[in-house]
Amino acid sequence: MPVYIARKLAFFLLAVLVASIAIFLLIRGAGGNVAAVILGKDATAEAINALAQQYGLDRPLFVQYFDWIGNLLQGDLGRSFRTNEPVTDLVVSRLSISIPLCVSGLILGLVIAIPAGTYSALNSDKPLGAVIALLSQVGIAVPVFWAGILLSLLFGVRLGWLPTGGWTNWDVSLWGAVRSLVLPVISLGLILGASLTRYVRSAVLDVMNQDYVRTARATGMTRMQALLQVGLRNAALPIATVVGLQIAELIGGTVIIETVFSLPGLSRMILANVAAREVIVVQSTVMLIIIFVMFINLIVDLLYGVLDPRVRLAR
Amino acid sequence: MTIAPTATPAKPRRRRRRNLTLTIGIVVTAAFMAMALASFFYLPHNPNVPRIPDRLLPAGSPGYLLGTDALGRDIFSQLMVGARTSLTVGAGGALISLVIGTIAGLSAAAFGRVADETISRGADIMLSIPGMVTALVLAATIGSGALTTILALSAFFTPSFTRVIRSAALSVMQEDFITAARLYDRPTWFILLRHVLPNVAGVMIVQFTLYFAAGILTEAGLSYLGVGVTRPSISWGMMLNEAQQQVGISSPLAMWPGLAIVIVVLGLNLLGDGLRDVLDPKLARRA
Amino acid sequence: MTTPPAIEVKNLTVGYEDLNAVRGVSFTLPAGGRMGLVGESGSGKSMTALALMGLLPAGWQAHGEVLHDGVNLVSQSDRVLSSRRGRTISMVFQDPMSSLNPVRRVGDQIADVIHRHNGVGRREAMRQAVDLMVQMNLPRPEQLARSYPHQISGGQKQRIMIAMALACYPQLIIADEPTTALDVTVQKQVLRLLNAATRERNSALLMITHDLPVIAAMCDTVAVMYAGRIVEYGPVQDVFRNPRHHYTRGLLDSQPTMDNIALDGSSRLVSIPGMVPPLQRLPSGCAFNPRCPAATEKCRTEMPELAPNGAACWHPVGAVQVVEA
Repeated sequence: MPVYIARKLAFFLLAVLVASIAIFLLIRGAGGNVAAVILGKDATAEAINALAQQYGLDRPLFVQYFDWIGNLLQGDLGRSFRTNEPVTDLVVSRLSISIPLCVSGLILGLVIAIPAGTYSALNSDKPLGAVIALLSQVGIAVPVFWAGILLSLLFGVRLGWLPTGGWTNWDVSLWGAVRSLVLPVISLGLILGASLTRYVRSAVLDVMNQDYVRTARATGMTRMQALLQVGLRNAALPIATVVGLQIAELIGGTVIIETVFSLPGLSRMILANVAAREVIVVQSTVMLIIIFVMFINLIVDLLYGVLDPRVRLAR
Repeated sequence: MTIAPTATPAKPRRRRRRNLTLTIGIVVTAAFMAMALASFFYLPHNPNVPRIPDRLLPAGSPGYLLGTDALGRDIFSQLMVGARTSLTVGAGGALISLVIGTIAGLSAAAFGRVADETISRGADIMLSIPGMVTALVLAATIGSGALTTILALSAFFTPSFTRVIRSAALSVMQEDFITAARLYDRPTWFILLRHVLPNVAGVMIVQFTLYFAAGILTEAGLSYLGVGVTRPSISWGMMLNEAQQQVGISSPLAMWPGLAIVIVVLGLNLLGDGLRDVLDPKLARRA
Repeated sequence: MTTPPAIEVKNLTVGYEDLNAVRGVSFTLPAGGRMGLVGESGSGKSMTALALMGLLPAGWQAHGEVLHDGVNLVSQSDRVLSSRRGRTISMVFQDPMSSLNPVRRVGDQIADVIHRHNGVGRREAMRQAVDLMVQMNLPRPEQLARSYPHQISGGQKQRIMIAMALACYPQLIIADEPTTALDVTVQKQVLRLLNAATRERNSALLMITHDLPVIAAMCDTVAVMYAGRIVEYGPVQDVFRNPRHHYTRGLLDSQPTMDNIALDGSSRLVSIPGMVPPLQRLPSGCAFNPRCPAATEKCRTEMPELAPNGAACWHPVGAVQVVEA
């Protein structure tokens, strides 16, 4: 296990390094002259040069990279060109929206997918099993923003139970904040749940056909005990892998759903800065998101190690 | 439909469901392609020219099959051009990923441990960069548009393709006929082209179909955010965004593009599943 | 005083939709008895075993009677059956590699069975499990008990499986080709262990295999299955010395021995012509008739029942042969 942890940790660091170089080069390389991009088409050459000098954009690229990544590691994400606000300050308040949204969406997705997928795997010949399989197939085809629109149409406009958008901050009203998050979380969770249901279904189908489940029943477990004690425990392995892979998708969904419900989360901030061509802000916040995804993947890998003795005890 | 009498009639019900899946998939996909291709030759109205007197007409109004939007632009014409965008961007992104992913996947499978480790770890790293994020970065630097969206989709899908092709190729490489070809001193590239590629073609076709669908969904999402395609190109995602901004979500305008996306993506997914049953029986059970 | 038989099977039929893999099988295995069940793959022997255990794959159904310990197993619920499985009737499967739970220590897997059925505490169950492992001739049992399946050899895994099957002193053990997946050198050891351990516990043994010498060495009676039916049944010595059914005869003739194994063309190793027919295209009459050297018109139209001589055949070996023109 120590070797396994060390290997995963090393890979995590390598991945962060590679991704940071890629993002840096993509933005600086593809974007050309950053100062020109920021100032727009009508800027004079003098103004561009002045801005470049002021922010050290005229230095060699690798110096700028180490400058950026060094500051990033110390928690300094740089400053906005226009407002001179530190990016860290911009980010922190918005994380209090994005992280609860994203994590609750994931949990809801799992809460839907594990029972639904398991049931439809074991009862594919019954009507409800077929209905679940059909709903999951349809759910995969529904774009998350349309799900959000339909839900807010039903619960917001028609029934008036929940706000169709907007945000009440946590310190203003806890209840208000929760209410503003309900529909976004359900939209995210339903759509994620639909695709996870498929994976859970195939993982459970696969596991329940294994010889060791038959052995469990041959030594006295009922079908239900064999499912709960042996089947799901083994199906957890492929499901953990898939959840790790879905995190990147989940982030995309979060970005979109924040727009649908006008939540001032991290992604709204990025979008606004994309539009304003605030290159440094985009670069740093994007890197932050990537580190977050990679970190979750690291956790999933470590969890996998705990769940699977073949990995845990491998040398 | 004829089924040869010698075929095993063990599970007729499943067989019928399989055929149904494939049939629906083919029909929907064909209709979608026809709509996209027709948009090059004929549109009921120019989808970008506002006609204020005709604004917000309901569906079935004379001359406007599905009515008009807040600026009086014909919805059906916009849907047709939207289909074209979905087709080019979705298929374009899937195709680029298919080509790069196949080359990378085959190389990982055939050129030894170092190549395999490099390519596989590289793919793992790329997989943990959200596609949405790549798209945002590209939009911030080179500007949004159809080409940017295709690039973002390719960056997003290539690592998954690479992994699938690699594992399919690895299982082919273990077959005896590959060993035989090796014994005949065939060069590796020859073995890959002549023996491995034809045997992973089924996987490639199935994956292409599924990522085509995923590409349409992602493109719609990006255009909904305003960082995908821009007018005069039209995207179903963009139409939804405009409907939400201009007339609110209770308008039927927020229904048509959503329905179009669901139907087309569902059709392509069904086609992919159906093709998998036919072309790739080993993978079929994992669906 | 008569002890009730370990199992009594009456007219067992096992099928999927309208296809029957087992078509009316009957036999009785007395308490402590040992019976071999032979046949080619596809003859229905494994389905018979799974039907006795109540572990048929989804969609398959059993009809008929399986009397065991005073109940008819065919008509019992999963809950009732599960309270018997591993306790009064248990099974050793073909492939030990995939038959153990990969994420649970092997000692725990044995202890689970004891804990479940004997109502003893976890610690006592574990002690008994290690005892059983000692009896299974497993090396360093204390340490091995803490291993996961992937850490031990195939032969060791099968010994663990046998230990799980024997843990509660069942009245009947079904062993479905328990050694086919093992190395030849290990096979004999595992069989010897299974033989000795079942005899010690006076458990009846139903040994499913296509390995005739194994049956000869371990069993008292033998049933030969073909296309879902028992075509010959009797004491091992009688059946193997004087087979009455042409299929049994063919099976015996196709066993390689030291003097027929020459492969230089002079080989006298014969094989039965043709193949086992698929379920959906069973011939009418005796299912063996297309491959049988003695088949007549009667064989093609009428299905023979198991006769007092032990064979289900219209023209048993040794009787006057009817020669067709």
